[in-house]
Amino acid sequence: MSSARVFFVGGLLSFRAQFNWLSPWILVPSLMVSPVAQILLFAYVGRAAGVGDDRFFLVGNALNYAAIPCTFAMTFAISGERWAQTLGLVLVTPARRLPLFLGRALPVIVTGWAVAVFGLGVGSLLLGVRLEVAVWPSLLLAVAVTSVSCTSLGLLMGAACLRIRDGATLGNVVFLVLLVFCGTNVALADLPAWMAAVGEWLPLTHGIEAARSVAAGAPLGDVAGPLVRELLTGLAYGVAGLATLGWMERDSRRRATLERM
Amino acid sequence: MVARDLRRSFRTTQGRLRRTRSEVEAVRGVSFEIAPGETFGLLGPNGAGKTTTIKMLITLLLPTSGSASVLGMDVVADVRAVRRRIGYVFGGDRGLYDRLSGLDNLRYFAELYGVEPREQQRRIGALLELVGMTGREHERVEGYSRGMRQRLHIARGLLHDPDVVFLDEPSIGIDPVGARELRATIASLKEQGTTVLLTTHYMFEADELCDRIAVIRSGEIVAEGTPEQLKRGVASGRVLEVETYGVPAGVVETLGDLGPVHSVAVEERGQLQVLVLQCDADSEVTQDVLSRLGDVRVGRVSAREPTLEDAYVQLVTQ
Repeated sequence: MSSARVFFVGGLLSFRAQFNWLSPWILVPSLMVSPVAQILLFAYVGRAAGVGDDRFFLVGNALNYAAIPCTFAMTFAISGERWAQTLGLVLVTPARRLPLFLGRALPVIVTGWAVAVFGLGVGSLLLGVRLEVAVWPSLLLAVAVTSVSCTSLGLLMGAACLRIRDGATLGNVVFLVLLVFCGTNVALADLPAWMAAVGEWLPLTHGIEAARSVAAGAPLGDVAGPLVRELLTGLAYGVAGLATLGWMERDSRRRATLERM
Repeated sequence: MVARDLRRSFRTTQGRLRRTRSEVEAVRGVSFEIAPGETFGLLGPNGAGKTTTIKMLITLLLPTSGSASVLGMDVVADVRAVRRRIGYVFGGDRGLYDRLSGLDNLRYFAELYGVEPREQQRRIGALLELVGMTGREHERVEGYSRGMRQRLHIARGLLHDPDVVFLDEPSIGIDPVGARELRATIASLKEQGTTVLLTTHYMFEADELCDRIAVIRSGEIVAEGTPEQLKRGVASGRVLEVETYGVPAGVVETLGDLGPVHSVAVEERGQLQVLVLQCDADSEVTQDVLSRLGDVRVGRVSAREPTLEDAYVQLVTQ
C-alpha cells in the first residue's frame, strides 16, 4: 500500500513541485501555442516545397512535441531536487526508489499525451486535415505509447542531470536530435542510412510511424510491430534510467557527489 | 547511538587540462556515544566536520573507515532500517518545495516515510500546532518567511515520529522569537524521550538544551562533557574583556604572551574591538594588559565568569 501511495500520490505531488511550467503563463505558450506553431511551420514549408502532405507533417510534429514535456518535465522532476536541495532529504527516507521515481513519470506521460493530442486536434482543424472518428482510438493509443517511451528517455536524462549541470541545454539538444533523426519531417527512408540507423534506436521513431499509418486508416493490428518496438525502446531507456539513478545514489554515498552544484 | 573512529575523506580535483588531485580529510577519527533520550550537541566552526559526521550517521555518506550505529543498527549495512527510525532537519532557506503549500510538503514526506493516510492527518495537524503554523499550511512555501520555513523543516523531520532526530544548525537565520520557540520545541522532544543530535553556532542554545556536548575542530573531537564540565575544565579561571578602538593585530599577539593568559580572541563590534582574554583563576593581569595596549584607546574593562562560548572559543582557537 505504501509503495502504491508513493507511486500515485507522491508522484503527483513531486510533479507539481518540480515542473515549473504548470503556471498558465508558461504552459499555454510553451505546450499549446508552440506545438501548433511547429506543426504549421513544417506543413507550410512542405506545401511551399511541394513535398509530403499536411497529414504527414501534422502527425510527425504533434508527436514530436510530446517529447518536450516528456523529456523536460521528467528531467526537472528528478534533477530539480538537486537545485532545491531536497535530494538529500528524499534519499534519506526509506521509500522504495522504483515507485518514488517512476511515480513521477505518470503525470509526465499524461502531459505529453495531452500536448500531442491537442496538437493533432487543433492542427487538423487549422490545416483542414480530415482524421476520421474511427482512427482516433488507435491514434490516441499510439500517442500514449510514444509518450511512455519519450518519458523513459526523460528518466535517463534526469538521472544524468544528477551529475551534469545543465538539464535545459541537454533537453534542447535531445529535442533537436529527435526532430531530425526520428522521421518527424523527413521520412526515415529519405534520410542517410546512418541517420536512419540512429533513428531506429531512438524513442518516437516507431511511434510516429505507427501513428501515421493509423491516421491514414490502417487497422491497429497492422501497426502492432512499430508500437511494440516503440514500447521496447522506451523500456530499454527506462531500465537504463533507473539503473543510472541507482548507480548515482550509491556513488553519491561514496563520493558525496549529489549535492555538488 | 555510537560512533567509533569515524573517518571520511574527499577527493578533489583542480584544473581542466592538468588535473591535480588532492585528498581532504573532513572527519578524522570521531568517536562518541549518545544514550537514548539524550540531547547531544556537536559544536565546531564552519568546516570542522559536523555536517559530514551527521551525513554518515543518517546514511547519506559512507564512512571511509570506522563504524557507527543508530539504535543498534549499522549505518552502512542496515540503511533502510536506520532511515525508518531517524529524522533529519537542516537549517536555511532550502530543502523545501517552494511551489507546494506547507501542507503538501508535509503530505509528500509523510508518504515517503510510509505514514498511514489516517495517521497523516492527525500527525500533520499536531505538528503544525507544535511549530505554530496552524492556519498557514495552505499557503505556498515560496511566500514563507525564513522562520516559517525552518519551522516547517522541523515539522517535516518529525512526521514519522522518529526515535532519533538530527538537527543540523536548525536555528540559523531565525529571529530571536522564532529561535526561542524552536528551543521550546527541541526541549519538548527531549521530554518525549527522543534522542537528539544538535549542531549549532549559538552557545547559549547548546548550553540550554544539551545534556552533553562534543567540540569538533578540524575533523577531530577536542573536548566532550556536560556544558558545566566544559566550562570548568577548559575555560578555567576568569575572563577579562577589554573594549578597544583600533587595536593593531601585533599588539593583540603580545597579550597572548602574558603568563596567566591562555588565549586571546577579538570580537569586532562596529568600530569597537572587544578583547576576550581567558586567564588563570586567581591572576590579576588587567594592569599588564593595559600597559601592553599602550596608546590604544581603551573603553570599558570588565571581568566575569567563563561561559560555554568562552570554553568553545578557547577549544577551537588553541
